[in-house]
Order: sequence, then C-alpha cells, then structure tokens
Amino acid sequence: MGDERPAVPTAVRIASVSILAAVTAVLTIVVRIPTPAKGYINFGDVAIVFTAITLGPVSGMLAGGLGTAVSDVLSGFANFAPISLVVHGLQGLLVGLIVRIRPSSLWLQILAGIAGTIVIAGGYLAAEALFISGIGPALAEVPLNLIQAVVGVILGILVSAAVVRAYPPVRQWRW
Amino acid sequence: MSGASRPGFVHRFDPRAKLILLLPLVAGYFLPVTPVLLLPCTAALVLLIAVALGPSALLPPLRAIAPVLVLICLLTPPFYAGGRVFVSILHVPVLTAVGLRTTLTLLLRFLGLTLGFFLAMRTITLDQLVPSLRWFGLPYTVCLVIVIALRTIPAVSTTWRNALDAHRLRADPSRQRGRRRIVERYLPVLTSVFIEAVKGIPVLAMTLESRGFGRANRRTEFLALKTGGALARDMLVCAILTLLLILPLLLRVSAPA
Repeated sequence: MGDERPAVPTAVRIASVSILAAVTAVLTIVVRIPTPAKGYINFGDVAIVFTAITLGPVSGMLAGGLGTAVSDVLSGFANFAPISLVVHGLQGLLVGLIVRIRPSSLWLQILAGIAGTIVIAGGYLAAEALFISGIGPALAEVPLNLIQAVVGVILGILVSAAVVRAYPPVRQWRW
Repeated sequence: MSGASRPGFVHRFDPRAKLILLLPLVAGYFLPVTPVLLLPCTAALVLLIAVALGPSALLPPLRAIAPVLVLICLLTPPFYAGGRVFVSILHVPVLTAVGLRTTLTLLLRFLGLTLGFFLAMRTITLDQLVPSLRWFGLPYTVCLVIVIALRTIPAVSTTWRNALDAHRLRADPSRQRGRRRIVERYLPVLTSVFIEAVKGIPVLAMTLESRGFGRANRRTEFLALKTGGALARDMLVCAILTLLLILPLLLRVSAPA
C-alpha cells in the first residue's frame, strides 16, 4: 500500500523550487489578462496550484510563497511581499496536502482548489485591512482575488494533467 | 574604467545597512502618529530616489500603485465617520476629520513603504544581496534558491513569449472568442511553458551536483562586502536614521484622539 519511492535528492528539491518559483514570478508579473469586470488578472495562481498538485505540498508552499513575494518586490509592490509570502505559501501547502491524500482524484483536486481560494481571499482581506490599505480597499479587491484564484485552480488542474501525461518523470519529484 | 561616473552615495551605502533600515522604516510608518510627521519621511524618500536614480525613476512605482492610492482615497473615509464633518451628502457624513486623517495616514504609509523598498531594491545588486543575506545568517541553501530563481526569471519570460507567439500562429482565430477564450488560448501556452520548466529540473540538479553542491567543504565567496571603518560609518548612519524614524515613539508623540 505504501508508496516506496526513493527520497527526492536535495539537488532536485532545490532545482524544482527555484525553477517553479521563477515560473510563478513570471506568470504573476509578465502575464496580464484583461477582464471585463475590473483590471487585470495574472496566472500566478496557476503556477502555485500546478506546483502543489504535481510536485507536492512543500514545493507548492516554497515556490508559491517565494515566487509571488519576488514578483511583488520586482513590480513595485514590496508592501505586499510578506503577505504574498505567507498567504500564497499557505495556499500551496494546503492544496498539496489535500491532493496528496489521493493525487489522481479530480474531486480532491477541485476541493483543494476551493480551499486554496478561500485562503487567498480571506488572507488578503485580513492582511490588507490590517496592514496595507484599510478595510474599504481590501473589500473592493475580494472579487478580483476570487476570480484570479478560480481561474488559477481551473487552469492549474488542467495544466497539471497535461504536463504529467506529456512528461511522466515529473511524478518522481513530488515531495 | 575611464569616463565611467562613480556610483552615488546611496548605491555605495552598505547593502546590509540598507536592509536593516527597512525594519525601522516599516515600524516608523506604523506608529500611531499624526500624518504630519509621516510627510517629511515620505518627502525625504522621494528626494533620495530623485537624487540616486533620477526623477524619472519615480514614475514606474507611482504608476504601479496609483490605482491602490485612488481606492484608498475613495473607500477609506466612509468607514471612519468620527470627529468634525467636512463633507456630507443628504445629512450622511462622507468626509470627517478622522476619515481624512486615516486616509492621509494610509496614503503616506503605502507611498512611503513602496518608495522605501523600491529604493532599497534598486540600489542593491544581486551580487550584494546574497552575501548580505548570508551575513544575516540565512542558510546557503536558501540563498542559492533565491539566486537561481532570480536568474531564471528572464529565461522563463522568454519561453513564455516564444510559446505565446508559436501557439498564436497555430490557433484558429474563430475559436479565440467567447467565454472559453482564456482556457483555449492560454492552456496550450501554459502547458508548453511548464513542460519546458520541469524538463530543466534534472538538468539543473545535475549542474548543482557537478559543482559540488552537498559536499561538506566550505563554499567560496567571490565578492566581499565592506569591512572596517567604511562598514562602521554606514552602520552609524543606519543607527542615526533608525533613531529618527522611531523618534515619535521615543518621545511618546501620538496622534490626537
């Protein structure tokens, strides 16, 4: 019953976290998709959900937290960097932990995505209201955060399935 | 190098001192003081950026945070209705003294912290950042992850653009409209980018191991930060600025109730 895969080597762990953190940062900074409702959304959440499902909860936490924090610093929103580090790190960790129960289950992946979305919306609302911009602007950003998180979950699940099918060795690096 | 201008004093300031100064900067902006006391600090940051990086360097961060500043101006006053009423609509207070003070505090805090971090990050190079983080005690592995991530960003960005162009050439324009546009347009591009990224994991891991990562021998550092008198001078300036930033706390100056 137990999965007797060998432990993931440290060099692979470092490589996977570094590269996926870079992908998360790029998809957050470079990719801006206009929405009819308001402003832009980015694909940072896609990267976090992908990493958590494909490479495990620890990779999801580290790559998600670091990637979004770096993107905040590079794009001029350094105020948000500590918040992104914690909130998106928690998102990656929670998604990965839920999916790890049964990695091939689509329903668990969707459930994990919903849990991650709640963490994002609630985490940013609380942190922005307390530390950044006050309750008014924080509430105004909730719909956009929700849209972005939901798009991230849908695309993250789809991309993860496609990548695992196209490159099966990636499953060995889950940790 | 002949003809090259010497970097300004902000660039030459020790990166460790700059990172340390971010802490009292954050603390100072969160002190419960009147916004009048936050204004000189914010103005000083604007002046420092203009001197160190040029006045045009102020535009990118201001442009990035402008929507948030507007949101703060519009959405903060209705939530703080205490004190003297300045503007009311149909006997409903829209702008009060407390609302104005809170809005100004939030504006100056957001602006000041953004400019402060912007100045620090633009005047600290990657070569200075990692030794500085190591000096603070951050483990070598963590620094390695940060460096690799930062250096991989341009390559991933190029991969994204190439994949986007390639799939755009293949895509049927008639299928690019509608509610499923985002999924149909971007799913192939994202898949290509992520496959390219995960294929790089074993290559990078082999590179790290071939360079001796994981061995017990001490890592070599190829760039030395300031030591001795130069470091002491910069740390003294850091201490003085820290005292100035938290002076309201030391003098127990607080905002009016």
